[in-house]
Amino acid sequence: MTSPNLEAFFSAITGALGADGVNRSEETIRRYGENTMPGGDRPPAGVVYPASTGDVQLIVRAANTHKVALYPISTGNNIGLGSRSASAAGQVVVDLGRKMDRILDIDEKLAFVVVEPGVSYQALYDELLRRGNKLMLDVTSGPPQGGMIGNALDKGAGYSPYFDHFGFSCGLEIVLGNGEVLRTGDGALDSKDLINWHTSKYSFGPILDGLFTQSNFGIVTRMGVWLLPRPPAVRSFHFTFPDDDDLQTIIELCRPLKLSNFVPTLFRVTNDLYLCGSEGESPEYRASGGKRSISDEGRHHLRERHGLGAWNVSGAFYGTSAAAMEPQIQRVRDMFGQSGKARYIAHEDATAIPPLQVAINAFSGVPCLGELGLLKWRPGGGNIWFAPGTPMDGGVANEFQRLCRKIYGEFGFDYTVMNVCSARFARGLHVITFNREDADERARADACYRKMSEEVVGRGVFVGRAPIDYHPFHMAQTMPAFRQACAGIKAALDPNGIIAPGRYGIIEVPAH
Amino acid sequence: MQTTFTLEQLAQPQIAEADGILKTCVHYGFCTATCPTYVLSRDENDSPRGRIDLIRAMLEKGGPPDAKTVHHLDRCLSCLSCMTTCAVKVDYAHLIDIARNYIEDNYRRPLGERVLRHLIAELLPDPRRFALALRLATFARPFAGMLPLRLRNLIELVGAWPPAGEILTPGNHPAEGVRKARVALLPSCAQQALDRNINAATLRLLRRHGCEVLVAPGVGCCGALPLHMGRSGQGKALARRNVAGWSAEAARGLDAIVVNASGCGTTVKDYGHFVGGEQAKSVGALARDVSEFLLELGLERGRAAPYRVAYHDACSLQHGQRVTSAPRKLLARAGFDVLDVPERHFCCGSAGTYNLLQPEIATALGERKAAHIASVDPDIIAAGNLGCMVQIGRFAQAPIVHTVELLDWATGGPMPPALTATRLREPAVRRAPAAQDEATSAPVAADPNPTGIW
Repeated sequence: MTSPNLEAFFSAITGALGADGVNRSEETIRRYGENTMPGGDRPPAGVVYPASTGDVQLIVRAANTHKVALYPISTGNNIGLGSRSASAAGQVVVDLGRKMDRILDIDEKLAFVVVEPGVSYQALYDELLRRGNKLMLDVTSGPPQGGMIGNALDKGAGYSPYFDHFGFSCGLEIVLGNGEVLRTGDGALDSKDLINWHTSKYSFGPILDGLFTQSNFGIVTRMGVWLLPRPPAVRSFHFTFPDDDDLQTIIELCRPLKLSNFVPTLFRVTNDLYLCGSEGESPEYRASGGKRSISDEGRHHLRERHGLGAWNVSGAFYGTSAAAMEPQIQRVRDMFGQSGKARYIAHEDATAIPPLQVAINAFSGVPCLGELGLLKWRPGGGNIWFAPGTPMDGGVANEFQRLCRKIYGEFGFDYTVMNVCSARFARGLHVITFNREDADERARADACYRKMSEEVVGRGVFVGRAPIDYHPFHMAQTMPAFRQACAGIKAALDPNGIIAPGRYGIIEVPAH
Repeated sequence: MQTTFTLEQLAQPQIAEADGILKTCVHYGFCTATCPTYVLSRDENDSPRGRIDLIRAMLEKGGPPDAKTVHHLDRCLSCLSCMTTCAVKVDYAHLIDIARNYIEDNYRRPLGERVLRHLIAELLPDPRRFALALRLATFARPFAGMLPLRLRNLIELVGAWPPAGEILTPGNHPAEGVRKARVALLPSCAQQALDRNINAATLRLLRRHGCEVLVAPGVGCCGALPLHMGRSGQGKALARRNVAGWSAEAARGLDAIVVNASGCGTTVKDYGHFVGGEQAKSVGALARDVSEFLLELGLERGRAAPYRVAYHDACSLQHGQRVTSAPRKLLARAGFDVLDVPERHFCCGSAGTYNLLQPEIATALGERKAAHIASVDPDIIAAGNLGCMVQIGRFAQAPIVHTVELLDWATGGPMPPALTATRLREPAVRRAPAAQDEATSAPVAADPNPTGIW
């Protein structure tokens, strides 16, 4: 791309959106550039605030005219994956969350909602509650103020039967890189009367929606999201296991329960530190100067204090009452009991253990803050999420557990993971918390991430959503044809490459 | 966050404390999404994260702060929504108090502002003096439109003055029936000048539930008002008097210090830090919001008609004290249909003296809150803090009362005066229970026309 004419661009946007539509203050630029990555901050050239799809079109067209790179964000709660940082310093952040935060429609009969990018989980939860709590949205266990569209487009997930946030979206409105508006699904019909836009995805023609996940081909300005009728009662169950290698048994126990969908939620299979870590700073960090992983004794002590295990399994049933679900709970207890190692924690008891209450909230579609405490496990504000996945095969999952635990230890970090288990696949949400103010620790965190990535790639496993520091790194792990296809689509939909160049490693000319 | 204080600066206890707090902030920015001023202005300096940076720079530099810093710190509501959201639990409450104190000691405000702040700090903590001022203010009401916004707001606060009832004097109020507990009640200063039914209802309710209630001699303003205006010396002097008064009573056996103004409750609970010393710590540990105490005590089942009650979470209760479920449980037990208000984490703009000192932002927040309350179509609004009641009352259509007034009414007390002046709708059929802070397995009411079948 030729040199951007930033002054002309901002002048055009200020003229069209007013002074309130642009922010170039030094403080704003500094803060929007901050993130939690090892690679440093990426200050943008400024921030613009569209209030409508029309405003987004105007911004994209001005960016094409003045050769300015844009970086759209929704609510900017992408902590550990990039925060509000652009792919590169000097891009212009398009903050959709400030003014495009409307819930456009809630259809209570067909159970779907249509939202703009600024609508957070909390905002929709509040609105559904206000309307009588008839519908339940699937939430993440991350920040309640996180945006639904941003999460779905980054292939984020929750835990209920509607856990797959992109999969349960239906019908997008997108401003393409050339400024044109595209509607997907049944919204592609050239009509003003689109009664199936948010009820059907697969009627005619190719399914284009997926192009706009983990990519940079357009700016999504509207999305339909399907909702679950709220169950009258939610009943959770929990088991702890004492040993690290018990993961093998756990995965073997969970798989059949999910393949048959006997248990409607996903299983949260969390290690000790993932749960205990949200309750306070590492008790050994300051003593070791951050050079060593927490000791086995330290982990044991934390487990004792919080009543948890080396592994902790949580799931839930939905039904008309607690009593109605008791036989199902008993069936699961019987199955886990056969392992001879599982300790059962009942729903009521779990509500007194804050990290398990997080799971109950998540299964119940209630946004909550509890899990964010994980981010203070070490001081200094560094954290990166490493999100590979394994098949639901106990042996394979346990091999990966051993591998990653060893690499964490090699670099002096604390193995912290939640395996979110569906029928055939488990996503391993690993967080590396590190002191970003310590150059040595920062370098070790980066090396740890890269080594784990390379090791799992060597075993045929790819990551899911990835931190911005590693987008080009992961794209380079794909086959050439994939890179060329992405570049070709980029060139077709965003010929001047003005939307988030570099995001997820997609550029007009593929790296070889 | 890294700091660069000199050893000499760190020798000052307040700077040392600020240094410790500043270092915990890592700029995740979760706080920005729930900070009312940032959401309104999108100005980084109006966010907790931005303010923390301004405080660091101000304290590191020393000397008089610049006007820009004072402007942005003054605009902070101290609602502490940021502390609920913060992943690393930065102790913003104490940091902003240190900063306000520093500004008060090192910055010369324009004359008009100095006079207004002085008036507020001297009048509000003394209910009799404040009541006298309110009486005078009633004469100014016809001319309110000609006054500057800040003074106009002050006069509008007066409402239908004078309130009924007496300012509480020290003394004992015996329990009705068998005594279950002996508690001290903080009479709350400004509250007594503006609305005396809250204390009257609290007394009736506590006594009816077997509590001997005493108003301890020497106890007055908790010190929160001057503290949050940067006058910590004045605040501490008031707090020390309370510590002395309550400690004397505690020696005779005290089960709790009951507070029915949550802004005060947050400060009293923090006396261990604010005043220091073992006595203050013990007093702080005895403090309970009236809703917490009643829940522990056990409220008799109420006989209220199921009016739709929108419960407003005062910031000092939900963020300062983390008390959110107790008032809801009590109101539901009393028989009301409790409704949650969307965006409940957001401040209404009252924030102690904020609506007097920052009327524009306070008005924007008050209107926003009132619109959210109206969206749940309540018959009555309930809150646990007089400041919120006054502020929301300016913008909302439905009548607003204190939670204890409803609990008192439902368990045998009189109808709250604010409700006698209005015609309430016939209560409708009970709807689904309001959400709790945390999900539970409690089944919701059967919907005659369900979206899904279970």
